[in-house]
Parts: sequence; structure tokens; C-alpha cells
Amino acid sequence: MTNERRAETTAEATARGRTYGAFRCLNCFERNTAPSGAKSFKCPKCGFEWRLSWPMPTQPRIRGPVWETNRRLAEEATAKQTKGEK
Amino acid sequence: MALNRKIAYIDLTTGTVEAKPIPVKMRKQFLGGRGLDAYLLYNHIKPGVDALGPDNVLLVSAGVLVGTLASASSRTHVAAKSPLTGYFGSCNMGGFFSPELRFAGFDHLVIKGKAAKPVYLWIHNGEIEIRDASKVWGKGVRDTQEAIREELGDHEIKAMTIGIAGENKVRYANVMTEIKNSGGRTGMGAVMGSKNLKAIAVRGTMDIKIAHPAEALEYDKKVISQVTAAKVSQEMGKLGTLFIWGATNSQGLVRTRNFQLNQLDESDAIEPEEFEEHTFGMAACYGCQVHCRARYVIPDGEYKGVYDEGPEYTSIGAFAGEPGCRDLTTVLAANHLVNDYGMDTLEVGGMIAWAMELYEKGILTDKDTGGLDLSFGNEAAVIEMIHRIAKREGLGDILAEGPLRAAEKIGKDSIKYQIHVKGMSALHSDDRPAPALALGIATASRGADHLRSRPAIDLYHLPEPVLRQIYGQPVPYEGPLTSDYTDYEGKSWQVFWQEQCYMAVDSLGICKYHTIFLGPNFPNFEEWSKLLYYNTGLEMTPLDIWNVARRANMLERMFNLREGLTKQEDWLVDRYFDEPTKLGIPKIRGRVIDRDKLHKLIDEFYGFQGWDTKGVPKPETLKALGLEKEPSHQL
Amino acid sequence: MTKQLVIDYEKCTGCRLCEMVCSVKHEGVVNPARSRINIAKWETKGLTVPVVCRQCEDAPCVSACPTNARMRDEELGRVIVNYDRCIGCKTCVVACPFGAINWDPLARKVISCDLCDGEPQCARFCETGAIRFIEVSTANKDRQREAAGQLLESMQKPVQPAAR
Repeated sequence: MTNERRAETTAEATARGRTYGAFRCLNCFERNTAPSGAKSFKCPKCGFEWRLSWPMPTQPRIRGPVWETNRRLAEEATAKQTKGEK
Repeated sequence: MALNRKIAYIDLTTGTVEAKPIPVKMRKQFLGGRGLDAYLLYNHIKPGVDALGPDNVLLVSAGVLVGTLASASSRTHVAAKSPLTGYFGSCNMGGFFSPELRFAGFDHLVIKGKAAKPVYLWIHNGEIEIRDASKVWGKGVRDTQEAIREELGDHEIKAMTIGIAGENKVRYANVMTEIKNSGGRTGMGAVMGSKNLKAIAVRGTMDIKIAHPAEALEYDKKVISQVTAAKVSQEMGKLGTLFIWGATNSQGLVRTRNFQLNQLDESDAIEPEEFEEHTFGMAACYGCQVHCRARYVIPDGEYKGVYDEGPEYTSIGAFAGEPGCRDLTTVLAANHLVNDYGMDTLEVGGMIAWAMELYEKGILTDKDTGGLDLSFGNEAAVIEMIHRIAKREGLGDILAEGPLRAAEKIGKDSIKYQIHVKGMSALHSDDRPAPALALGIATASRGADHLRSRPAIDLYHLPEPVLRQIYGQPVPYEGPLTSDYTDYEGKSWQVFWQEQCYMAVDSLGICKYHTIFLGPNFPNFEEWSKLLYYNTGLEMTPLDIWNVARRANMLERMFNLREGLTKQEDWLVDRYFDEPTKLGIPKIRGRVIDRDKLHKLIDEFYGFQGWDTKGVPKPETLKALGLEKEPSHQL
Repeated sequence: MTKQLVIDYEKCTGCRLCEMVCSVKHEGVVNPARSRINIAKWETKGLTVPVVCRQCEDAPCVSACPTNARMRDEELGRVIVNYDRCIGCKTCVVACPFGAINWDPLARKVISCDLCDGEPQCARFCETGAIRFIEVSTANKDRQREAAGQLLESMQKPVQPAAR
């Protein structure tokens, strides 16, 4: 029964999967790590490039895209898709 | 029992005040805050009343856990019939007001009638006094509070007030407390203004009794750790809600230039990290260890040196993204102005961006704008329009009427460019790539709104087993769930589940940032059940709390239906379906919402709700929730 | 070896959780008016400062007390009240230069920080580090290191050419 008091709550259970220090690529969602203090990062899986900041010494976050790279990659992908459709 | 609390009925026309205890039976049905407000509104407002007339009823309340050892239990809820939408009006804010209201002896206020001249309420240790407000009428939000403290001779007074916008009945005026705590959306400040009620000042030294103090202390510590251990809490504790901008703008999930584009490119100057340069540490609401409010001083320009708090994610969208501005000072100054005028930052930004698109399309001309160049990206025009809306000058007077009334006044095909649901502007998020988010704003009880049912974690690409754990409690769900936010499968259940989740915390008085809004590992129905028991002695299972939320959401729906809402209004404007997204990552480009698929989601959503195909609660649904006799006038 | 509550107001976010846990620990209720720690706030400037008993060595409240009810407890390095002797004259409330002694309006007695008998709840709950319960002799060490670090950094900078 879903209404019983359980030993571990949902929140506690899902928290076990937490990955401190890691962050996801905002294009392909691959989980990555970066050397501490790195200013930018290129996703090894999809090639998208992100500028990083470090709100905590061990936890980076994506601050924004490297505009030129990501715009080019997105436009290429869209062009390929449109071509494929034709 | 620890929960011996009061409700006060205040009639501003006659000047009478009556206080009553709130029966525990009502608590078990509706808890407090927004839940009990839904009941009170359905029972105290006659159908069809003028939202800005004396027959509207203003409700001010504290959640049932406010001021207790439940982390972030700081929330104040304010409700009335909305002058913006004509439907359920409701706003929720943090800060220190409702804890102080409870220290002063009250949990709920029901304010009726209209004062003959400006007044404010002074609530102090069980006593309520209606006082002359002629000295503070005309003052801004922060000056009003300071003046009231001065007049009553107590620095510790907390006051909820309206600014100039509320006095001028701008239809999206806020109620405000302290510097930046905003009861925004649906124009509750205009309702206060229409009642000639400038402020509610509270101060108290009465106890909030804790049912099981030792256990409450230990459990609170545990819940706090659970919250502050989350990565998003830590980011938010450093950068505030602005941190969301990094992820959404990077992907192309924000509306810019009204709704023409979906990314503000080359906008490095307004990234949260840039704001951080101008902040000096974070501030917190009552009892919260996340501390997501930045304290800043405006670095230059006309308002150089002025202190304010925020800005929030909403403000960056409202004053940078939507009008296409890229200057940090514009956002900081605009945020300050809307705070002090007491206006909904989101609605103001939305209305200005809309006017800018109308100007671009030639629907508004220099004649209409009084010579003001309303081109996208004109930073000075954004600031100027904020003044004009608050003071109802020129075009500002029209925009102050909100999306539908303004579009009617401007005419032509101006309505085509309005981004609203039920007459309320949408957040600057671009929901075309995310059907779950689109469904949420289409069906939210107070109009286009991201804080009523948004499954924001849908954007996190969480693995399906994690989604199952979250969305399978406290009632079982075995239907589809998918990690892909562009998918339609199972999104109706997620929205339905989140709606109960947010109603539950709004009734408890806990902040949404301590729930499954920003991350999957936050406290949930199970934790709230324990917090309720340790703090108030109320024994309610997670399922009981779920049912409170169901009951209250149902009453909000019934209120809306009684005011004439139809199924057609649970819908989005055409641009969501007809104009594909142009920018961002490949996954997000070329996205529109599919009409048929959204219809299907809505039908599923109605099904989960126990509503018929027209969106009306079925008799058996009402019976199961014990609502078949509403309005029952028990309180 | 004496531990004391060390306040760094720059780290205070003004959440008042310290007040809550204090009054719950001592009185079983949430009531800032009955808390032994308070947050002084300047709302329009965004400043918040926790105010709590400093457990003075030569305490003005002890000197001022006409019945010798207030006294030093050297074991825990704190100032305590003997309520059997206290007559509730509130002289200590006025005497304290920090305003850190409160008058509990419900219990009708003076209250001030008793360090929770060695486990202060305010410090335990304050995650920002604005309130810490630490060895007094080490209270300045973090700041000392920080200042020394800055000094070191400035000394390692290449010598600037003299202004012309």
C-alpha cells in the first residue's frame, strides 16, 4: 500500500543517485566532469561547447554557450535534417 | 492540541471585526493557506461580483505550518476574485509577514467591504484595529512600511502593503512585504486598492505551540540537510533563481522579442555570474537555509546606489529577454521599480514586450506611445513604460488593464500577439518544445502560470525509474512516463501530480523550492506528513495530504466554473501551434505544440481530475472528496 | 578551553532560524520574543545582525544585579541566572551594552543565552556559518589566515613601476 510509512522516503531514495561534481551537457544530456576552475568545456559526445562557472569549488555549472560553436553546430544539424526530409 | 488558531472577519464598510477559532475538522479537510482560502473564497464570494467592487472578498492567510520548525515555512497566501482574469485570484509570497501574523494570533483574515477613506489594519497580539492611512497613501512599498513602523513606534512590525500601482488599481498590482517579497499574479494589490486598504501591519509576541518540540527539532534538521544537500539548492543559494537562466537560455527555452524568438543570443552581460558582481551576499525568508535572494546596490544610471533584492529569474526574462534588452542595469533598475510600485514583474514585462511587437508591426504608432520609441532593445523605453503603467499615464493606462482589456482597447489584430492564458500573461519560458510545461500553463487555475502545476524537473532528463519513484506516490500510477521533455507520453499525469504537490505546500505554507519543483530529491508528501505531526500534532498520512490538495484544487476549479470558465479557456494562443521555434540546440529548433496531441493530454488530465469531457467535476468526484454540499458555510 | 558563540554578521542571511530553534529548545514554542538570540534587521539596507549574550568575563549584568542572581559559570564559560534569587527587576536588561538580555513577556522572567548547556542549537542549525560555537582562542584564526594570505599575495606581485 502506498500510504504506509516506509523506511526510506522517495526523496531519500532518489538522492542516492546524486553525482556531485558532475554536470550534464545541455545538448545531449551526457554526464561530464571538468578540471577544477575550467572556464569552458567541449562535450566529448556531441561537440557542443559551453562556458563554465564554479559556484562551488567542486561543482561547475554551465554559464552559457560558446555562441559561435553551438550556433554553427545547431545550424548544421538543422540543415542536415531538412536535406534528409527532402 | 497545538493547533488552536483563529480566523478574523473584518468588514471595512462597517468597521466591525469578529474572530473565531478554526475547527480541527476544517484543518483536516483543507489544512490552511491556499487550501483553506479555496474553501473560504467559494463560500464567501457571490458569483459574478465586480472584482474591484466592495463585494469582492480579500483573504490573507498563513499556511498551517507557517512559523513552525518546518523548513521554509514562511509563505503568505492572498486570494480574491481576480480583477485581471475574472477567475480565481491568488498569490503566494515568502518573507516574514505570515509568521508575524501567527505571532499576532491569527492564521486567516477575511476582509470584506470597502473603507470610506484610505485605511490600514493594525493587528497586534489578538487585537485588530482599523487605522487612518491618509499619511501613507501615495507612498511606495518600502516608504509605507517604514512610515507605519515610525507611526506605531516598533521596528519589528511586518507590513503587507500595496504601492502606487495598487492604489491606481493596475490590474496586475501586487501585494508586497519588505523590499521584494511579492504576492504577484492576478492583481491582488488592485483588490486591496479598491477596498481603500493600503496595508496590513502585524506584530505579535504570542506563542506558536509546537506539538512535539524535541522530535520537531531533530526532524527539521534532517529535512534541512535533505534540501541543502541538493546541487540546485547550492547553486540557488549562491546566484538566486537567476541560475535557471544559464540552462534555459543556453538551450533556447526562453521567449524573446515577445514570442518571436526563443533565445537571447550574445547576452553574456546579463548572465547570473555578472549579477553576482553587484550583490553582497544572499538573504533568506523566514527559517530558510537555502537563502535565494540576492542583495544588491544598483551600480550606475539614474538609480545608482539604491538598495534592492533579487532580481529573480522572472525579472531577467521580463526586462531583458522579452523586450530584447541586454543591459544589466536595466534589469536591476526595472526590478527595483516594480518592487516599489508594487507590480507583477512578469505581467509588466509581458505587456511591454507585447507593446513593442505592436510597435514593430505598426499597430501602435508614435502617436499612441506619446513619441516614445518602443523598439525592441530600447532599454530606456522599458524603464519609462514601467513608470507610465504604474501611474496609468498615456499608453501605460491601457497596458495597466492587462492582456485582454488592453487588446480590446488597442483593437486591430493586437490580440494575435498577446501571450496569455485566461487573460494572464505567461512566464518568459518558451514551452513549445516541452508539452508538459505547455499543458501546465494551459490548465492552471489562475491563468498562464508556472507555479501551479509545472513539472519543471521534466527538463532534467531524469531516468524513468526515478520518475516512477516520484510520480508513483502517494497514489499509484502505472501509466507511461518518459525522460524526454519533447514527448507527450505521461505528461498529463506529471502535471496532475505536480498540481497536487504545489497545492499541498501552498496549504502547508512551505516554499516550492523545498519541493519537487527544482529537483527530484526534495521533501515530498511523506516528509510533510511527519512535519505536520511533529509541529502541529495533526495526524495525516501522505494520502490524506494528497486528498486535501485534490479537494482544494477542485474548489478552485468550481469557483472558476461558477464565474463562467469554459473548456475553451484551458488552451494556448495560436502562436504555440503555428510558429516553430527558430533558435537553440537542434532538439529545440522547429518545435511547435501539436493541437491534437495537446487535446489528448487535456482529456487525460480531465480524466485524472475526475472531470467530465467539458472540464466539469463529476458528481461522484465531488462525493468522494466530500464536496457535494459546497458551499457549506462552515467557516 | 572555552567555547563561545562567535558571530560573523556578514554571513547572516536574516532567516531567523536561530530564534526559532532557541525558543523551541527552551520553551517548546516558536516565539522570537521568547528567544535568547535575536536578529536585528535594517530592512531597507539589507543588513541583519544576530545579537546574543557575549558571556562577558566582567559582565555588566552581573555587576548590576542587586540580588546576586546573575553570576559567572566558569565551567561552561557563561553567565547564568539563579531564578530563586532573581526578583525580576530587569536591571540586567538595561545594563547589557548589547541588548542581549530579553524580557520574556509570557513567562515574565529575564532570559539570556545559556549556550544550551554546551550544545547551542542556533549554531547547530546555522548552515551559513554566521553563528559558530567554537574555541574562543581560535575565533580569529580564519580571519588571520585570510588577511595574511592577502598580504602574501600583495608581496608576491611584481614591483610596479614608479608613477611618472
